Amino acid sequence: MKQYIATYLPALTVLLILTAAASAQTFQSSGSTTISVTVAAEASLYIEDSTTTLTGGPLFSDYTGTTRFIYKIRTSQGSGTGTITSLVTADFSPSGGPSVSNPPTAGDALSYTCSVSSPATACSGTQTASTTAAQPVASFGANARSSRNGNSGQVNWTLTNDPLYATGAYSATVTFTVSAT
Amino acid sequence: MPERLICRGKNPHPFIVFLILAACVPAQADMGTATQTLNVVLLPAGKISVPSGFTLTTTGTTFNAYRGALRISYRFRTAPGGGGSISLRAASDFMPPGGPSIAAGALVYACGAAGLGAPCAGFQTVSTTLATGVILVPESACTGGGAPCSAADPAVVELQFTLENSPEYQTGSYASSLVLTVSTL
Repeated sequence: MKQYIATYLPALTVLLILTAAASAQTFQSSGSTTISVTVAAEASLYIEDSTTTLTGGPLFSDYTGTTRFIYKIRTSQGSGTGTITSLVTADFSPSGGPSVSNPPTAGDALSYTCSVSSPATACSGTQTASTTAAQPVASFGANARSSRNGNSGQVNWTLTNDPLYATGAYSATVTFTVSAT
Repeated sequence: MPERLICRGKNPHPFIVFLILAACVPAQADMGTATQTLNVVLLPAGKISVPSGFTLTTTGTTFNAYRGALRISYRFRTAPGGGGSISLRAASDFMPPGGPSIAAGALVYACGAAGLGAPCAGFQTVSTTLATGVILVPESACTGGGAPCSAADPAVVELQFTLENSPEYQTGSYASSLVLTVSTL
């Protein structure tokens, strides 16, 4: 009997160990698990006015109009930042009217001022729109967080009313970009 | 009288010899068979296995919801007239504070197909105070081996979690503990 046990016990032991190793799950009457999430800097923008019509008054007063937007932003704690910028991605067309990149008269310009709600800081003074470089609309500091449904802002446009513009309808495309770190 | 003296006695009385022989006869003459009934009572039982943790992730950077999946393996044996269930509750809100909040109803889940029993229907809002349903197991149900039990052993159900991605959350890493409880009847 002793010889029988001595002969087969090692093999039996190995069999039991392999069986235990093959079953990696632990079944219990209850279980707990940790759910984790990493919240990072994010930003999004919604332009409320798909088209902004600039209107001018009599006697060649400048054309004006307003583009409204809603922004959502979350910048990082500590050293995060954020910006909203504008860029004229398509100049006025057809030709013969106003132009951002090549106006008929030096000094003709499409410009704007900014108005934004906290936690954004509005651009300072009057900004001149550009087809080559993004221009500031708003900026954000560290740990800047909008409300769940977003916060409001707007850009107030001014376009020189040059008599050299031929009559007609003209349109340009402005792209707003929001970013956060 | 010591047995040794009886078995090794010299010139014992015949009756004593008979007694000695009867006492010393090998056990084979007394062997027979006996039966015993073994009884076992199998009580209703249920057990689960879950991973130690899982992560919710988002796509893009424009406040898309965080999503993640939790796979639950389970085994059940329910009695006639009984049943079983698996329920879920958050042991605590997300920590540290400043991020998403379970108490605010930001975390929900939906149940996928279940290997045994009926999975929860629709979206369930995770709570730190009330348990919400995951699986309902009917009476006389069992796991594994095929009909009348389930085909797979263990049975599996996958929960799809969705967490709101609000700009109001501060950046950082947050975690909570979900507790799954089994009950059987």
